[in-house]
Amino acid sequence: MLFNTLDYILFLPVVIIGYYLLNAKYRWVLLLVASYYFYMCWKPEYVILIVVSTLIDYFSGIQMGKRKIKKKRRPFLLLSLAANLGLLFSFKYFNFFSETATAVAQGLDLSVHFPVVDFLLPVGISFYTFQTLSYSIDVYKGELKAERHLGHFALYVSFFPQLVAGPIERFSSLSPQLKKANSFNYDNLRNGLRLILFGLFAKMVIADNVAPIANEIFDAPELYNSLAISLGLVFYSFQLYCDFFGYSIIAIGSALIMGVKLMDNFSTPYLAINIADFWRRWHISLSTWFRDYIYFPMGGNRTSKLRWTFNIVAIFVISGFWHGAGLTYVFWGLMVGGLYVIENTINKLLKINPKVRPFSIEHILRATKTFIIIGLSWIFFRSATISDSWVMFDALFSNFGLEGEVLEIPTNIWILLLGFIVLDWILYNKRFDTWIEKMPFIARWSIYAVLIFSIIVFTGVEEIPFIYFQF
Amino acid sequence: MKILKHIALRIVMLTIILLSTSLIYTKYFYESDLQEHSPIINTIRELPIETDILYVGESSNLMYAEDDADKRTISKMIAGYYPSLTIRDLTKQASHAGIFKSFLRAIPKEKNIKTVVLTLNLRSFGAGWIHSGLETPLRKNTVLLSDQHPIIKRFLLSFKGYDNDDEQIRDHAMKRQWKVDFLDFPYPVKYTNVVDWDEAMAASGKRDAEGKLDSITDLACHYIKAFAFQIDTLTNPRIQDFNEIIELAEERGWNLVLNLLGEDLEKANSLVGKDLTFLMDQNYALLLDYFKRKGILVVDNYRAVSTPYFIDQDWTTEHYTEEGRKIVARNVSEALEELHKGAFVSPDK
Repeated sequence: MLFNTLDYILFLPVVIIGYYLLNAKYRWVLLLVASYYFYMCWKPEYVILIVVSTLIDYFSGIQMGKRKIKKKRRPFLLLSLAANLGLLFSFKYFNFFSETATAVAQGLDLSVHFPVVDFLLPVGISFYTFQTLSYSIDVYKGELKAERHLGHFALYVSFFPQLVAGPIERFSSLSPQLKKANSFNYDNLRNGLRLILFGLFAKMVIADNVAPIANEIFDAPELYNSLAISLGLVFYSFQLYCDFFGYSIIAIGSALIMGVKLMDNFSTPYLAINIADFWRRWHISLSTWFRDYIYFPMGGNRTSKLRWTFNIVAIFVISGFWHGAGLTYVFWGLMVGGLYVIENTINKLLKINPKVRPFSIEHILRATKTFIIIGLSWIFFRSATISDSWVMFDALFSNFGLEGEVLEIPTNIWILLLGFIVLDWILYNKRFDTWIEKMPFIARWSIYAVLIFSIIVFTGVEEIPFIYFQF
Repeated sequence: MKILKHIALRIVMLTIILLSTSLIYTKYFYESDLQEHSPIINTIRELPIETDILYVGESSNLMYAEDDADKRTISKMIAGYYPSLTIRDLTKQASHAGIFKSFLRAIPKEKNIKTVVLTLNLRSFGAGWIHSGLETPLRKNTVLLSDQHPIIKRFLLSFKGYDNDDEQIRDHAMKRQWKVDFLDFPYPVKYTNVVDWDEAMAASGKRDAEGKLDSITDLACHYIKAFAFQIDTLTNPRIQDFNEIIELAEERGWNLVLNLLGEDLEKANSLVGKDLTFLMDQNYALLLDYFKRKGILVVDNYRAVSTPYFIDQDWTTEHYTEEGRKIVARNVSEALEELHKGAFVSPDK
């Protein structure tokens, strides 16, 4: 079920009303049924994967909890890792490795065809497997007590607002909130609705309207001049941002109405002053997951410069691979990781201040530089193949003339996008719900009016699924 | 009391916003949305108050061969047989009864139509068409045609209040149906589902260095996927669509005529064999019987068009050359004589 559909508009109130009407003791049952139903609306049989992942991690957790010595817990951690990464590999990466192996074999003049399977990639598999892995690792490390209640654990894995695209929550943060007897809170309702409204605007009005323009450029970049391609990249950058940011805050808003506070996943990332700052503001729940479970165990930055460089590049390559089974994502990780290291080194050499005064000229210049770098990296992220990426780079840096196809951008799209950019600036280091709370009544309702009107009237009607669903 | 006032004020504000949105949308945006998403509305609006025959069809009423001397569509050819009658058409590529139903419902009640002719396309009852990737855009095109208030329709369009499964899901549903639908033959056969049959056919063909199947076998596989099914009148969605159209026709007082389109049986037989034509014949007989029992006039063109009169020799379509269209148009026109007595004029005379 998608957040921007009539189905969800009907589903959410029913669940919320049921949630508050039910005795707190039994709410987990309602939420679990609702979560499985939410997932099964897409492809019913794939719920089995969530159930399998849940049962294995529940069992592993219990077994690890029983053992005081870390070494004795290890087999169960390995079981959890093998099961979750095995599922992920089978459904997401098998064909990639199989096709790559076939290509390599053919390159060596061997007539070997490795099999490929015709699976539909299970929506959200990368998200829920990472979420449940964090639980297993925390229990293994002894930082978390194993959950003994299977229902509560199953709900932690499948809580519908964040099941298919995050934020990737930690057990220690989410589960206690799901168990708590939350009573109805008007502020939560109000703020939740505000976030949902703004999320729908970001996804439906901005992302879905700029997507066709970005697609036009990415489908045939050689037809356009550099200026048009640059505009296409800007539009794609905002499509990606608004698509995922929109999804995230709808998830946060939906959970908030039930008194569950999910972590913020975005914080005006395109106003970041450098690449490191960008990754503190973009898909925060994934960045912190990688930081805590891969980067720190690798030694983080408390190591030699060379090792740190390796750690950073490795993390971004893994992150790229997490996003998709394709060489484009690996190249994207290499590019971002490499630029991260280079920028960090330059900043240290030139002793560039790691902080800026918000909205100063320096901030604007540094945010623009970061936006350009990140925007260029999206070329790999968006392209279907490496050769498509090269075509895009080639066209961007060679078609400087004014000839080429004309990129037609309707005026209303410009107005809506510029409106969003202004709002994004205003929301620097703030969240929409708390910002609007402080507005005078008339101003606040005027903004609601613009958002509601835009969502109903200006929503892009092309079928553009949430981009992060494919991850 | 204070909380009630607080909530009441917000309800009032929300109502004002929604009413203003509705007013502004209806006055300034609705028409351009209609033109963008449902341009067929123009043809519906242009229907004369008194229309004798309305021909509703898919691409069979659009396509012609480049070397056709007479490039008229089937509906225009029918009009040639009835010069004294007002004949119009509603044509949309890839449409089927589910879409026709929405078009017909959008016709204002004040428009008097005597006869509605609908194409009855055998292939549209199969999984390949039912789960086609074109279904979502087609469904989207019908949202603004419903008789709800413009703001409600726009709301449904924005929030995907229509069958909006993505192509991946549809593709999987199609493959699944090909796998699970048991093909029941009264004699022993090697393959009892489309997937096995298709794979066996593909295995019998030759592949080039890139693994591409030779064109003849590829076409045979396509015929299997397009025609190897058995219609279940209780579950097939197209049957349900036609039933609703029959009800609508009764309600509006239209004569309903179904134009059962011709299929390339010779090619089906030469490429795949009698097992496939057995299924096609079985479905044909079932449809003919089903609609005749409901008292609907069915024009039987099933075997009327022979191989050379199909435009696409390398695909399964109901796109006919000039000769093919003339045959279908002639058959439909002759059948319509029963409903429009005295108006038929043979151009041969």
